[in-house]
Amino acid sequence: MGTPLDGGSRVPIGCPAKLRRVTRKKVAPDLKGWLSLAKARYAMGAKSVGPLQYASHMEPQVCLHASEAQEGLQKFKVVRAGVHAPEEVGPREAGLRRRKGPTKTPEPESSEAPQDPLNWFGILVPHSLRQAQASFRDGLQLAADIASLQNRIDWGRSQLRGLQEKLKQLEPGAA
Amino acid sequence: MAGRGKLIAVIGDEDTVTGFLLGGIGELNKNRHPNFLVVEKDTTINEIEDTFRSLGSLPGSVVEANPNQRDPPLWDEIDSRQFLNRDDIGIILINQYIAEMVRHALDAHQQSIPAVLEIPSKEHPYDAAKDSILRRARGMFTAEDLR
Repeated sequence: MGTPLDGGSRVPIGCPAKLRRVTRKKVAPDLKGWLSLAKARYAMGAKSVGPLQYASHMEPQVCLHASEAQEGLQKFKVVRAGVHAPEEVGPREAGLRRRKGPTKTPEPESSEAPQDPLNWFGILVPHSLRQAQASFRDGLQLAADIASLQNRIDWGRSQLRGLQEKLKQLEPGAA
Repeated sequence: MAGRGKLIAVIGDEDTVTGFLLGGIGELNKNRHPNFLVVEKDTTINEIEDTFRSLGSLPGSVVEANPNQRDPPLWDEIDSRQFLNRDDIGIILINQYIAEMVRHALDAHQQSIPAVLEIPSKEHPYDAAKDSILRRARGMFTAEDLR
């Protein structure tokens, strides 16, 4: 998917079209999410689902991992907090990993799992609020995919500009 | 924090921000600096810009006029509020109708990180023609390539 302008690099021609398709897709889960939020608000009360319920201290449950696929080209992936990338997981010592038993050196960041934001809205929340959470979580992965595509477009643009400059220099009248 | 990855920030209306915070992106750290901004009817464009833009993009006369007389705590607060100035943010989600209000700030942002994504809101559907990234890409390819 791209035009080889020199031996190594390809300009991602299909990226804007793909970006538009993926962007249109992101409307659907958002609509479901908003509808579910509206249903939850109807069930719990108009002022029961909003900024008044936000916690005074928040820890993110999801974060973004950026990996560099090629020089300057970043790819994003949404990761749940406390989950490590596959390359980071592995036995820290030779032999089998222990599944049970006390940890020798407890890490401060893993001592407390981030609180589920659903808890801000009460102990028993309606199913529609859980559905809203699921919809917006789906939207987050989509956002990471879109950000990766955008990054690829920007990378492609910079590659194209560089090659166009080289082309200008090689033209007979340029010298 | 080094192994935690980057954050996703959001600038949007109440439903958008509440939804994404439900999704688990919210951070309100010990210095009370959030990675989200709820835009309401009385939210000014300056507030949205301040949150979004980096301090370095402001006119030099405003930033450097009296560097020795600035109030350090306030300065730090402004710096930390601005999402582009934070190196712990990887993506900024912003409702497209809000992005239109600060379009000049979005167009001035050329870096790949943080990535700025314009998203629809409940009342304003997404319009690809207004998206900064797609507008930049449009000039790059021919109409046939985009089909």
